[in-house]
Amino acid sequence: MAIVPLHPIGRPRTAFCDDATFAEYREALAERERRLDERRAEVHAGWGEKYRARVHAKGKLTARERVARLCDPGAAPLEVGTFVNYGLTYGAKALTSPAAGVFTAFCRIEGRWCMVIANDNTVASGSWWPATPEKIQRAQEMALRLRLPTLYLVDCSGLFLPEQSRSFPGARGAGHIFKKNSLLSAHGVPQLAGVFGDCIAGGGYMPIISDRVYMTEQAYMVIAGAALIKGAKSQKITSLDIGGAEVHVHQSGCADVRVPDDEALLVCLRAEVARLPSAAGDYYRGDPHHGGAAPLPPAFAARELLGIVPPDPRETYAAEEVLARLCDQSLFWELMPDTGREMICGVGRVGGLYAGFIINRQGLLDDPEHRGRKRPGGTLYRGGIAKVSAFSRACNDDGIPILWLQDISGFDVGLDAEVRGLLGYGSSLIYTNSTNTVPMFTVLLRKASGAGYYAMTGMPYDPVVQLSTTLARQSVMEGRTLAIATYNTKLDDDFEIVTSDPEERAAIERGMAETAARIDADMDPYVSARQMDTDEIVAFDDLRRYLCAFVEMSYQNVGYRRVKNPRIWSLHDLAELTEGIR
Amino acid sequence: MSFRRLLIANRGEVAVRVARTCDAMGITPVFAVSEADAEAGYVAGRETVCIGPARAGESYLRADRIVQAAKQTRCTALHPGWGFLAEDPRLAALCAVHGVTFVGPPAAAIHLMAKKTPAKAAMARAGLRLIDGSDGLLASAAEAQRVADRVGYPVLLKAESGGGGRGMRIAAGPDDVTRAYEEAQAEASAAFGDPRLYLERLIEGGRHVEIQVFVDTYGQGIHLGERDCTVQRNHQKLIEESPAPRLDPDERMRTLEASVRAATSIGYVGAGTMEFLLLPDGTLRFMEMNTRLQVEHCVTEMRTGIDLVREQIRVAAGHRLSVGQDDVALAGHAIECRINAEDPDDGFRPAPGTIETWASPVGEGIRVDTHVASGYRVPPFYDSLLCKVIAHADTRDAACDRMLAALDDLVCVGVPTTAPMHRAILRDEAFRRGDYDTRAIPGFRPS
Repeated sequence: MAIVPLHPIGRPRTAFCDDATFAEYREALAERERRLDERRAEVHAGWGEKYRARVHAKGKLTARERVARLCDPGAAPLEVGTFVNYGLTYGAKALTSPAAGVFTAFCRIEGRWCMVIANDNTVASGSWWPATPEKIQRAQEMALRLRLPTLYLVDCSGLFLPEQSRSFPGARGAGHIFKKNSLLSAHGVPQLAGVFGDCIAGGGYMPIISDRVYMTEQAYMVIAGAALIKGAKSQKITSLDIGGAEVHVHQSGCADVRVPDDEALLVCLRAEVARLPSAAGDYYRGDPHHGGAAPLPPAFAARELLGIVPPDPRETYAAEEVLARLCDQSLFWELMPDTGREMICGVGRVGGLYAGFIINRQGLLDDPEHRGRKRPGGTLYRGGIAKVSAFSRACNDDGIPILWLQDISGFDVGLDAEVRGLLGYGSSLIYTNSTNTVPMFTVLLRKASGAGYYAMTGMPYDPVVQLSTTLARQSVMEGRTLAIATYNTKLDDDFEIVTSDPEERAAIERGMAETAARIDADMDPYVSARQMDTDEIVAFDDLRRYLCAFVEMSYQNVGYRRVKNPRIWSLHDLAELTEGIR
Repeated sequence: MSFRRLLIANRGEVAVRVARTCDAMGITPVFAVSEADAEAGYVAGRETVCIGPARAGESYLRADRIVQAAKQTRCTALHPGWGFLAEDPRLAALCAVHGVTFVGPPAAAIHLMAKKTPAKAAMARAGLRLIDGSDGLLASAAEAQRVADRVGYPVLLKAESGGGGRGMRIAAGPDDVTRAYEEAQAEASAAFGDPRLYLERLIEGGRHVEIQVFVDTYGQGIHLGERDCTVQRNHQKLIEESPAPRLDPDERMRTLEASVRAATSIGYVGAGTMEFLLLPDGTLRFMEMNTRLQVEHCVTEMRTGIDLVREQIRVAAGHRLSVGQDDVALAGHAIECRINAEDPDDGFRPAPGTIETWASPVGEGIRVDTHVASGYRVPPFYDSLLCKVIAHADTRDAACDRMLAALDDLVCVGVPTTAPMHRAILRDEAFRRGDYDTRAIPGFRPS
């Protein structure tokens, strides 16, 4: 096994955070995580018990029940897009579309990570709402990037027509799903479809490109259903007669296998996945008896993350302690530690597999440009930007998946920053991240502000997945900052209101407060998740589970991307060049 | 045949023991020493590397410094001994990435056995019996109540992430469970950020029996018999012996075989010890597995004639075990006394100081493992073990008599030792009859 100079990082929690502070942070966070649990439960309930009962009455399973049966025992699905459309209503009846009517999740099936896309048959018979096509495409994109087998559990009555104008025509309109089907197929990604019920119009196309299409006896696939045929051709015929298994398995060949019911179909899908090549994770981990690694938890419990990140974004914490609670055995190789100390770049194992970490250091740090002066962390300066660029490029070159952990206020600003060419250095970083092909995953720990959010591979830079914690705040600038900028002409150098007219003063105060409040409300991670500006909101003590899964997925499939063994990592060259004699 | 240079990441008697085997195998041992041990007699003429100040937290417990020391001294293997970092998966993992072979099990096996409920579940699956209690973690106080009612009182509620006695409560009866549950949970939550608990029947008394197992990297496992370590003080073992008195032969045989199965089933490699509580009903109940060599491994060596450190090093180098189960012959009776620099008449107060005169006993069937010689200064920073005396003879009584004679020959002038206590125990009628348990030291009443 090649030598990777990992070193112990982190300290026992009591060495840097006393019981009272730990309890205070935990309590503040617990409130938010409770809300997350409640809202998740609300989404999972779909349209409620009545609709679940209706599904069961037909002898069928709900989408979530199907997915649960598909997963390996004990491996809960890793859901993405839970909160798409959360809190939005449609039409005069104020209909909701929990999870946009489709359940998308990474699922472990027969030891292999797969993407499962399941129409939620407890929400308007699985029809497609505004944002449903985008959500399905996003899941397909994740699968494409990682070459994950993709399973469609189809039970969809077509577009939700009253809102058709918002989901039909655009570049990411419903039809783009089939383009994604085609691209997945073109890249050799296995696709499997199970048709469990309605599969009308657009839905009808969704399974067809899959390598294998299974149908239950309750399922049918049609370009147009019975109602439309009655109108168009005055024929009285059931949808099952038009496009059931009898037609598609035996006459048209549009499906491959007919099975009696949901349970049988799910067993068949698992068997299909079992016929695929096995997951390569253990190959890359190596034999633990001969220097390889088994997945091991951090030496300092990951659950302590619940109490070491202060919920108030103005308070600081030690970023090393976060890494120590995410890396296996809290072992980490920091690269270029003396350059750009506002950033930490390095390699650690996650679930026994190597990943590159990039995280913002917080608090006041020595300013290398001015001896004796300090400057705040959580900001991008030239040294840090250059370091991150070089590290990101090297990981891409070596095929090491990158985990970006953001808690960033933005780029440094001012004359110094311009003189030092931050625009140029920042653009170099943007170029690097834009052209990287290695899987990258982003976590918004707290602040995700300004161009810092972009430079650290925020959503617009196509991470495979972007997670938000319950503390995440995406914005160009904080509410208070925008309020000051908006009322700039009315304020003095200390940001105090200049006017002495009490009425005008009150109006300005009100205006500033409103501006700040509106921005703060928009920074709510649920707003972000609702409009797909982040993929999922994850509890702090669930972060490691997601990261372990992401890294394992990145190593699951061989042959489509570069994975260098550590002996030939360019990271070693980088360390040698930057750290000199060691 | 294997490594040329091996770092011993330990001190005192442990380091001397490992070095003896290295010498015999033609491997150069390098002693990692703290500043306090740098000039100690036992490293005179040896190659040493200083790993930090006297305080163990800055030296013998610093995995990073130890691995760095191995690299600097060009050691390709590292023996952790026992104690200090011997059961730290992080050291094992760190060794692996730095190209140093860790003489011990893989990090994952160490980790698994350090986790309470998963370790027990793994052992139960392999056929070892557990102390009655909850099936893994408890979901609620109500569940604790149900389990406690089933297994019988008193019960012990323990924190999954616990240690050092924190997050542990006894419930004496049915009315006491909710209180004990809530208190243990609150304490565990505050101390470890992990409120999860499990429950066990509290066993008072009983005997401590352990089984030595050995597995190579090819999954071949053997056992090397059992040891009885019932004579204890505050969970510190004082006397260990083999075979275990008062152990039913069928239960013994069944558990020996199950222990080997258990070790191989978790992918264990190297020397390991399964610790059991021998209940008054005669059954052995699994408590924990120690993923290292034990202090008392010498007892097993005396009975089997196998050098366990040698086997450890061979297995680490990828060799198969040099013996199969059928080659293991367990002969006679062996007994070991741990002699500490403590004053048994003054509450076992550790008594560091300079040993003016030291003479180890010599005799037929007697082995002494020690790092002490005349003029040795016992440092105040570490445990106070001076030596282990092991006596081997055909029968238990003969071994005890040999031990008594040997202890009479032991000369230690300068610091008080626990030898007088051992003599009192060995002469005690109840001890000779095997009539005692872990609650009290037979033949000795601590003042």
